Amino acid sequence: MKSGEKSKIFRRSILDGVSFALFVSVILSLIFNPTDEELLNLELISIIFFGAMLAGAVLSHVLNIAGYKTFGENLFEPAYVKAQSEAKAWYNTFWGWHLFTTILVLFIVGIFKSKFSMYELLDEDGFEGAKRLFKGIFSPNWAVLPAAVMNIIETVFMAFMATILAIPFAFILSFTAAKNIMKHPAAYSFYMFIRTLLNVTRSIEALVWAIIFSVWVGIGPFAGMLALMIHSIASLTKQYSEMVETVSEGPIEGVQSCGASKLQTIWFAIVPQVMLPYISFTVYRWDINVRMATIIGLVGGGGIGTMLIKYQGQAMWPEVGTIIVVIAAVVWIMDQASAYIREALK
Amino acid sequence: MSEPILSIKNLEKTYPNGVQALKNVSFDVKKGEFLVIIGLSGSGKSTLLRCLNRLHDPTGGSVRFHEQDIVQLSTTSEIRNLRKRIGMIFQHFNLIPRHTVLSNVLMGKLAYTPTWKSIFGLFSDEDKAEAMKYLNLVGIAEKAYIRADQLSGGQQQRVAIARALTQNPQVLLADEPVASLDPATCHTVMDYLRKVNQELGITIICNLHFLSLVRIYATRVIALKGGQLVYEGDPKSIDQAWFEKIYGEGAKEVHIN
Repeated sequence: MKSGEKSKIFRRSILDGVSFALFVSVILSLIFNPTDEELLNLELISIIFFGAMLAGAVLSHVLNIAGYKTFGENLFEPAYVKAQSEAKAWYNTFWGWHLFTTILVLFIVGIFKSKFSMYELLDEDGFEGAKRLFKGIFSPNWAVLPAAVMNIIETVFMAFMATILAIPFAFILSFTAAKNIMKHPAAYSFYMFIRTLLNVTRSIEALVWAIIFSVWVGIGPFAGMLALMIHSIASLTKQYSEMVETVSEGPIEGVQSCGASKLQTIWFAIVPQVMLPYISFTVYRWDINVRMATIIGLVGGGGIGTMLIKYQGQAMWPEVGTIIVVIAAVVWIMDQASAYIREALK
Repeated sequence: MSEPILSIKNLEKTYPNGVQALKNVSFDVKKGEFLVIIGLSGSGKSTLLRCLNRLHDPTGGSVRFHEQDIVQLSTTSEIRNLRKRIGMIFQHFNLIPRHTVLSNVLMGKLAYTPTWKSIFGLFSDEDKAEAMKYLNLVGIAEKAYIRADQLSGGQQQRVAIARALTQNPQVLLADEPVASLDPATCHTVMDYLRKVNQELGITIICNLHFLSLVRIYATRVIALKGGQLVYEGDPKSIDQAWFEKIYGEGAKEVHIN
């Protein structure tokens, strides 16, 4: 069996298994109607869920052998098989109904889980509260404008420093995270290590990094900057290294044929090819960092976010309104400026 | 003319995917000759050239160059030292598009310059003078400070020749040097290669498609078919029978003037 076939069956089994386990869980909770207390029994719940998932994987295998193409099979089958299969309307296929039922069940469960309620949305008391809030926000208190401007400047610089300090790290790491450079077996294991490290770092939200650093270095813009920097290094390295992987081979061969060393080859054949996209990604990262810096301020990362959470906690809506106006203006300006700069760099 | 500069014996190259690009290829390259390799696309011409400067690693056989077996070289510095003495030009020129012509030509000095110096662009005045000398030789010195991607194909190939010459090579490999050029430019570039060959005494090994060019420029010709050497001799004695043997029956010769 080819490895592609194996990984297809693996993915299909997980997807179909999860979908079947979902059906089983819903049916079981309809029959037994468990209390909240009973639902906290994680051990039992996991046994039921993963058991159902396993059964689902087996069922999916049986169905596919019997000629009923499940959603998992249809999604993960190789492109050439997809291209050969005849086009049918979704309601004439087994996988179509499988997908439809899954989404429908997910939607119904979602309504309960998110406590979706038209009643709450249109409740008179709640509506009055919202009206008060909007009234406050739409009559901003301009007295806090100077403080808001000072704080947003702090936020912008926090984002700027995070971006600038991330560049050298990301620049160097990007080459070690590019498959076409790290071909040698020893280099490849280092590449795998860096990739894993980056993925783990990126999967921890900047918000979480901010919480960590606000304990480490104390609440304030420094903590926010460090959090954004860690996140920027991981994101920029990924974007940079993807650019390195798409460079054209010609100049590399040309420079190598002159007897260039590895470092010379990277510097003269690869760097000129990736420079413009690097700058473009970096400008965009600064733009993203300004927006993230605002959010990070909410958990003690300093800047405008910290100011916002302070006034929000005291329900001082006119002041909150001023802050929102300032944030919106700066985010809009950054967004436009970065778009124009990136356009010019193409 | 008779002393071999490169002696290729039973050269083999099998790619990791199992394709056997070169099968038991043996020939000598004489010092100072203009050797042309002909053959269909995929016959192994490019692979052969790249095995000679170790852009590809041969999987068997030997290539003797100055009492040294190129195939056996293993360290990076040995291979760099080899490439220093064997220049190469390519079908798609392989210049650095965003750099100036002069800085492209200075790439020929990379193997002679410590890495840190080259990264800060600290090439000596002698190096720059030498680069300009070779730009003059290929008649393009006035474009020295223009970005390489602003030049036409023929001009770019001349810059590539100057880059290779700046290495002071004994052998120049040319992989389809005129295949992406128009017929008129073709001859200009080939003429410069002949000049390099005759005036500087650099041995040239060149892959070509057009037999009419082969007859004008080659002093000797070898032909590859399916990775094997099928012809070796004088370009003028390639007749219709040979032509069909190399390119397959029913092939018609295309002339380029």
